[in-house]
Amino acid sequence: MSTNPNEPSRREFLRQAGGGLGSFALAAMLAEEANAGSSESGTHHLAKAKRVIQIFCPGGMSQVDTFDYKPELAKRNGTTFDPDGKLQFFASKPGNCQGSHWKFRQHGESGLWISDLFPKLAGCVDDMAFIYSMHSKSALHGPACFMMNTGFTLPGFPCMGSWVTYGLGSEADDLPAFVVLPDPRGLPPGGIINWGAGFLPAQHQATTLDANNRQQPIADLFPAAGIEEVTETSEQAGLDFLGKLNRLHQTSRAGNSELEARIKAYEMAARLQLSAPEATDLGQESKATQELYGLQHPEAGPFARQCLLARRLVQRGVRFVQIYCGAENTTAKKIRPNWDSHEDLPRDHGYWGSVLDNGAAALLTDLKQQGMLEETLVICTTEFGRQPAAQGAAAKGRDHNAGAFTAWLAGGGIKGGVGYGATDELGFQSVVNPTYSYDLHATALHLLGIDHQRLTFYHNGIERRLTDVHGHLIREILA
Amino acid sequence: MDVNATSRLCRSTFRVDRITCCALFCLVFVGASWVSAEQKVDFAKQVAPIFQQHCIRCHSDDDRQGELSLASVDDLNENEFVIPGQPDASYLLEVIMAQEGEPPAMPQEAERLKDAEVQTIRRWIQQGAAWPAEVRIKQASKADASWWAYQPLQVFPKPHSIDEFISAKHQKHDLRFAQRADRRTLIRRLSFDLHGLPPTPEQIKRFVSDPDPNAYQKLVDRMLDSPRYGERFAQHWLDLAHYGDTHGFERDKRRDNAWRYRDYVIQAFNDDKPYSRFLQEQIAGDVLWPNDPQAVIATGFLAAGPWDFVGQVETKSPALRRAARSLDLDDMATQVMTASMAMTVNCARCHDHKLDPITQREYYQLRAVFAGIKRTDRVVSEQALQDYQDQKETLRMQRNALDAAAAQLTGRSIDLADVVGGGNGFGTGMFRQAIDPRNAKVQTRDFGNLGNVIVNRFSRSDHPLVDGVFIADGKAGQAEVPISSTEVTVSGLPTTSGKAWDMIRNGPVASQHSTTIDGIDFTGPGHHLIGLHANAGITFDLSAAREVLLSKQVTQRADDEATAGDQSLAGELRFTAKLGYFGASGSNVADAWVFLDGKRVAEFRKLKRDDGLQAIDVNIPTKSKFLTLLATDGGNGYGMDQIGFGDPQLRLSKLPRPSQETQRRVAKLKQRRDRVEQQLLELGPTPEFYGVASTEKGAERSVPEVRLLSRGNPESPSGHALEPGSFAALSMLQPQLGTLQSNQGERRVALANWITHRDNPLTKRVIVNRLWQWHFGTGLVSTPSDFGYGGARPSHPQLLDWLAGELVANQGSLKAMHRLIVNSRTYQQVSVIHRVDTPSSERTNPARVDADNRLLWRQNPRRVEAEVIRDSVLHVSGKLNMQQGGPGFEDFTYQEAYAPIYTYVTADSKPLWRRSIYRYRVRTTPDRFLTTLDCPDPANMTPQRLTTTTPLQSLALYNNELMLRQARYFAQRVSEEAGAKPSDQVQRAFQLALGRAAEMEELQWAVSLVQQQGLFVLCRSLFNANEFVYVD
Repeated sequence: MSTNPNEPSRREFLRQAGGGLGSFALAAMLAEEANAGSSESGTHHLAKAKRVIQIFCPGGMSQVDTFDYKPELAKRNGTTFDPDGKLQFFASKPGNCQGSHWKFRQHGESGLWISDLFPKLAGCVDDMAFIYSMHSKSALHGPACFMMNTGFTLPGFPCMGSWVTYGLGSEADDLPAFVVLPDPRGLPPGGIINWGAGFLPAQHQATTLDANNRQQPIADLFPAAGIEEVTETSEQAGLDFLGKLNRLHQTSRAGNSELEARIKAYEMAARLQLSAPEATDLGQESKATQELYGLQHPEAGPFARQCLLARRLVQRGVRFVQIYCGAENTTAKKIRPNWDSHEDLPRDHGYWGSVLDNGAAALLTDLKQQGMLEETLVICTTEFGRQPAAQGAAAKGRDHNAGAFTAWLAGGGIKGGVGYGATDELGFQSVVNPTYSYDLHATALHLLGIDHQRLTFYHNGIERRLTDVHGHLIREILA
Repeated sequence: MDVNATSRLCRSTFRVDRITCCALFCLVFVGASWVSAEQKVDFAKQVAPIFQQHCIRCHSDDDRQGELSLASVDDLNENEFVIPGQPDASYLLEVIMAQEGEPPAMPQEAERLKDAEVQTIRRWIQQGAAWPAEVRIKQASKADASWWAYQPLQVFPKPHSIDEFISAKHQKHDLRFAQRADRRTLIRRLSFDLHGLPPTPEQIKRFVSDPDPNAYQKLVDRMLDSPRYGERFAQHWLDLAHYGDTHGFERDKRRDNAWRYRDYVIQAFNDDKPYSRFLQEQIAGDVLWPNDPQAVIATGFLAAGPWDFVGQVETKSPALRRAARSLDLDDMATQVMTASMAMTVNCARCHDHKLDPITQREYYQLRAVFAGIKRTDRVVSEQALQDYQDQKETLRMQRNALDAAAAQLTGRSIDLADVVGGGNGFGTGMFRQAIDPRNAKVQTRDFGNLGNVIVNRFSRSDHPLVDGVFIADGKAGQAEVPISSTEVTVSGLPTTSGKAWDMIRNGPVASQHSTTIDGIDFTGPGHHLIGLHANAGITFDLSAAREVLLSKQVTQRADDEATAGDQSLAGELRFTAKLGYFGASGSNVADAWVFLDGKRVAEFRKLKRDDGLQAIDVNIPTKSKFLTLLATDGGNGYGMDQIGFGDPQLRLSKLPRPSQETQRRVAKLKQRRDRVEQQLLELGPTPEFYGVASTEKGAERSVPEVRLLSRGNPESPSGHALEPGSFAALSMLQPQLGTLQSNQGERRVALANWITHRDNPLTKRVIVNRLWQWHFGTGLVSTPSDFGYGGARPSHPQLLDWLAGELVANQGSLKAMHRLIVNSRTYQQVSVIHRVDTPSSERTNPARVDADNRLLWRQNPRRVEAEVIRDSVLHVSGKLNMQQGGPGFEDFTYQEAYAPIYTYVTADSKPLWRRSIYRYRVRTTPDRFLTTLDCPDPANMTPQRLTTTTPLQSLALYNNELMLRQARYFAQRVSEEAGAKPSDQVQRAFQLALGRAAEMEELQWAVSLVQQQGLFVLCRSLFNANEFVYVD
């Protein structure tokens, strides 16, 4: 329910403002916008998925404690990992072999292994496809996050959400095409540019939504507080005047379509003022749904809210939603602010694991119940994995490992209950079908009806792609 | 991570597929078998060209479609597509031959092989398929050295003009110049173009009513002479340099000295520095003109881009460091070559450039130019630093002398920090002079972790006001810690590490994290600090202090009024200070203690930075002899435990009131002090900048070797060490830039000279094209940083070359080029699209003939950039702060953390109302307001701004707090300047925002709006008007 008693009337007057603009053909214009950036109209081939929800777990999620079952590692627990002493990890020399901190069990009809860190997700295993052989080109958080998001270890490249909206445009007529829901605790490593549009036009930038901010779920959605000159009547009178002024200005400049687009942008902004508060109002959800997500849980609740919000957004036509499960530059010191568990993995993965388990499982269940999973591609990934060897004097941590990690996908044309690729017997390096972000991205784009080799944008001498000059479709995980 | 190992694994997995596939083809193959003994086939001359022409584009070392490469004999051996001596069993032959009416399977994306070519390959296989190891087949680039951009500039014997070239093209397409824009339009266009700001109504009036026929030329001259010009054009250049004020990447640390390069660029444009010199300074100014501070600072160009602290410094993994360093060098090389010559050299990092004649080897030779430098903070010069320090010290001494004189008259308080610095308590001490806690010796240099520490030993000091010093370890309360020369001891102190760092200082200790808490910088004017790192303690002699304070000179001036109150309290003192933990935020804590004669009078346990300042105010009875200050480490190690006592003062509890004469003299001293303080302020920060320095250290005098990296992989160097070099495609120049023995400075000088060589046509073409773009929105070459095959072709090649020639003729003066361009008829055309009055054919409607206006039959209307919108809003509201230069303004709060947190605030104070060029650019957390308005990410080199139109932009301009507050200031300004009459207010508001009067209809609407809703609403709407952000 709305907590702001003024909201209905504000909405009402905005509705009038929007409605008073007459001939404004929003849908047509959106279609125009959608195609403006792309050389093709429509998709390259038939799409299985219409939209994407991507969960990003920054910090480096351990594969050997979560999805990648390594009995041999458990057997070698406490024995030397690096007999030659030649290895040097990101921050340390390797300690001894360290088996999973959680017990693994088989689940579902597929019988895939999942650790006890994820009791709820384990129930969804037959809808999930795992890529066990992910690896990255960097073992540093910043570059590796950039790579997973943009295909490049350097900052400044467009992220997958921007590419997808560049290629497909928006499905929503009154919401942004690409929304990011950062962790409420702060930004991920590398900051806002993780979801930057890079050199793509700014219309493909992500919009961040804050469901906890009822006043401004989108920055500047409504006038800043504390300016008493802003009243509801003045708001409309000002917009009316602006509209007339712009029309008059335009008459002597016929043929400049940018002026027309800018007039329409103000009309669309008015629509957004109506739709964004509605979309972010989780109070509209049934009690059963709220309980499914465990919204009230003090630790897992905030991420679960983001998951539910993501479902509401894609339901309303948002093309791409990215949710962060973990932060970086935050001063909260109780535990590690993300999955980066150098000192105490049972503590930090224990915390983040239950957060992810609760939210992601609820999301998959909910999407399925709503009949949306088939057309919604869910991706869960991290930037790199962790070492099978222990780190630290207490041997409770794990250092960075660019050589192996696990990503999983579900829905949207994905075959459930399958695993692809494999790491070596200790989970140290991916050895069967090693997969960079390129293949993951190529596969996701394929499901959206896009040929990753044909989605390009010219910048400083090169026709750039999300997949650089690489990328293979992973057919083994397609339904 | 071993990238190679994984790649190999990757290949072997795919091999399975290929063999299966091969077998399948063999089954269906029915081939003719004939052999002829003919002359020996020369592989290099006869076969290799066929592979190169038909196969290599898809089957090269770096593409490997179908997991097949045909680049070297190793590839041939690996893939087994050829069986020497057995053409009919060789799969290669099968796929290139037509099979039973079907076209050949290969090539798929190139012309099929001629029969003769197939026969040549057959014979080659028959003869044993010899492939000399040294023959490697590479894809030929699309363009070669004959590409237009690499050719010498065309020479024009006769004088020409811009309009001539434009007109010639017009005629070919039946186009004409549009009419000249009116003066109001022209001054607005020029003002946004050259200054990035709208003209004031007064400037417009002056120009529009100027009877001089040369008024326009005069206006151009005035504008180019204004410092606003450099501020405007510097942004264009900083876009190319992808300049930022933080490092970027994960840690995104501050780069507080970067601004000097930004100021350099502004000044270079304002001074009209010849373009060659401008480039030379930025590439090698520190080597070429080491005594010219500006030339040295210019090398900030090479360091302007992002830099990965974690990858280059923090990680312990050498492989990760090599990877980060490789990207670092790529960034420098790419920036220099794209900015100056629009060559996309970075495309040759993993393989030869596929479009342009740039080999991978040449790319790495270019990297060898930069291999000996690294990005770093550095002093402008030792001399500049010395001058600065001398000047600062002189001013400080003047200030201290004035303080001491004032204290003699009124102060009656002893500054204990000054005492620690060896002074008399009234400003005669030296800043950062210190007392050694181990032995009470005076020290001036910095120390780190102290050796030879003996805890709980008291050392007497020679200073009359200091009794002595010690290093404490309470040993769980058991130790009797001596704190005075009279053997007073303290017990009950906690156990410490028994270690100590640096000295007890007048000012911060060595490597102190910060000198600021709660917004007070204790090294700033009027503030003092005792830096006391755990576990040091110091005891002051109160009897001596009392004596000084009570002495005749200080208290009993003949003209003072008698001390009020009880004479028996005359010896009572007060100690005041502001205590803080000056180390970094986080889990670090320390304890601080104050004792009187060994009696605890104040204690602060587990003090953290986040606790802020603690006020200390201790009353000292007449009989007390010793005041002791102590810091202990809080039991969690002594690292970062930088306790500081800010503004520590001892004074008499009761003070006499000064006479009028004393007050007059004090006021005079204060005036003089303020002047000195102002001079200190103007001196600014230390002459340091963020630039590049040699990686050479100690005996290692040579530049690190650079080898070609296979596929760009830093773990796969191949071949021998490469000499520094550039690109042979520019055949009029020598590509050699030195030898393996050349030092890093010589290499950069050679590159600077190569780029700015008088025969280098590309550098000149590129800059005149950029200038053209900055005036017309699109360059003659529409891809300003790519003059290669992948870029656009010039719309007016002759004009481009002529302009390049004019740049040379004008000794590289960019201002001369601006004059040439903006004084042209082409530039001064109207931008509105022609109305075609009579029904016309396709040919005569210019909007149909040339919809993109590449032939310039009118000027291009343009939306102004994000920064220009912000600056214009401030300018129109009357709030723009024109302060030039210096450290950037920070419209965010900064919070120290592993990855610092930058939180934006609404700019609502004068220091934050400076021009956007002076903002502090944070890479990971860009200013959302500007980003929404298309301000690019400084991770990218941005040769051309993109313009989008989005609903989020409307929301930002309509609702953002900055906009609303500025609309309010705008309204206040209008009512002040135009009085109370709504029609006057409307006209003034239109003049200020749009540079014109409101027309009749607009006036009616606006007056009614103002009357009903107030002036604010009008002002807010004007800031959002299309006309406000679009320039005709």
